[in-house]
Parts: sequence; C-alpha cells; structure tokens
Amino acid sequence: MLLIFFLVTSSMDAGKGLQRQLPPPPQEQEQVADILDSDIMTVTLNAEGQLTMNGDTVSLQRLQEEVTKFAAVNPHHRVVAIKTDPQTRYNDYFQLQNALVAAYKPLKCPPRVSEIVDESSQKGGQP
Amino acid sequence: MIRRHFRRPDHSVPELNMASLPDLIFTVLFFFMIVTHMRDVEKQVTYQVPAGTEVEKQQHKSSVVHIYIGKPLDGSSDNYLIQLNNRLATTADIARFIDNERQQMSAEDRERMVVSIEADRDVPMSIVNDVKQALRKSYALNISYAATERR
Repeated sequence: MLLIFFLVTSSMDAGKGLQRQLPPPPQEQEQVADILDSDIMTVTLNAEGQLTMNGDTVSLQRLQEEVTKFAAVNPHHRVVAIKTDPQTRYNDYFQLQNALVAAYKPLKCPPRVSEIVDESSQKGGQP
Repeated sequence: MIRRHFRRPDHSVPELNMASLPDLIFTVLFFFMIVTHMRDVEKQVTYQVPAGTEVEKQQHKSSVVHIYIGKPLDGSSDNYLIQLNNRLATTADIARFIDNERQQMSAEDRERMVVSIEADRDVPMSIVNDVKQALRKSYALNISYAATERR
C-alpha cells in the first residue's frame, strides 16, 4: 500500500531548463553605459517568429553563426539587443535564447544580452 | 504392469519461504521514500514546454521555484494564466509569492534560488515579459526556462 502510494505521488524527473540571468531592476540613478553602435547587434523577433538581425531577415542557424563571429571580437563588451513583439510566441523566443547560449558557448563567456521591453524601459546587459 | 515400473512424479511443490518478503518490500519502500520527493503542486494549467539543445539540469530541487504559465485544465477560459503554487494568479502576486518562497527556504537554498518558468510554447511574450519584470523587481535574477532536451 505504502509502496504504491509513493510510486504514484512521487515525481522522479529532474527538471531541465535553459539557465539564464536577469539584470537587476533599474536603479534610481542609472549609469548610462557608453556603448558604440558598432558594438551592438540588434535582433528583432516579430509576432510571426521572423528574425531580423541589424535589419536583415536571417535564419536561426545563420544568426547563431553571426553572433559567434560578432561576439568573438570582444565578448565582454559587445552586446546583443533583443526586441520582441508582445504577440511573439514563447517558443520562438526560447529558440532564440537557445541559439544565443549556443553561440556564446565556444567563447566561454556568458551571453551579454540586452532586452528591450515595451514600456520603453531598457533591460541592462548582463555581467 | 509396465506402468508400475515408472516412478510417479511428485506433484506437490515445496512451499516457498515467505519470511524474507516483508524485508524486501520495506527495502524498496525506503528506497522510494529517500529517492523521491512529493509532488506538492497540483497543476491547474496545461502546457507544453519548448525543446532546446542547450538545456541543463536544475541542480537543487529544494531551491527551485516554479511558475507555470498555460491554459486552465478545466477549460474555463481560453486565455493563458499564471499558476503559483496551488492557485491561479496574476503578475502582481509574483512579488509576494517569491518573498514567501524565500522565507521558507534555508539560507543556502536562498542564495542559489532559481525560478523555473514553465510556459507553454504558444504563450505570447507579453505575459512572459511581465513575469520577468516582476522577477527582476523581487531580485529573483536566476531563472531557468523549463524545456525538454532535443538532440
């Protein structure tokens, strides 16, 4: 009886997930970081799941290669900025995050990603 | 006659000794009691997490806080809802929820707290972004997008 009870109520599966870090909440006096335009790569993900990188439509795979190339120059300084539409599907966003993590893997550096959120408040980059 | 010369096979099977059976069952029972942890949340929303290639195992179960986002199981509404623990909630409740969870944790769990966002593939980003903003405000900065592994 007890055995069957434990078998039924227990969950054996260890949760798996894509680990990410959020930037801390915006401070009263925000220090504006000086980042050159050439050090920012803007990636947009629209409601249909279409990716654009600096204005050009790209595939996820190509984006990953481009991000690796882009970030390899100075991984601790260069930033990838993501802009999503409120209607973007979570799955598309997840695949983008997945690609970014994969792109930064050979660089041995956590992805420096900045997310631009609608309320015109900007999420800072990650340390 | 001829039959008499053959030995009759003995039909009675020797009795099985059942004395060790309770020991066996208790061993298995204790094994499960130690290995498993109880499912303390009854899911009220249905969701299918995305699949990714870079997923990692969530390290310490006791320091993981779950936020479920999906459609209600009973089909009462077609909107995506957020579930915290055992009840449906809104983004405004997240701060209180995180504080509560923090207080229940041990000091070391508190430091490595990870919030696992278990969202359906079709959830619009507006909800996910709201959740993330709320988490930022409560300084729950380590998050994990729950996913299955894809090869």
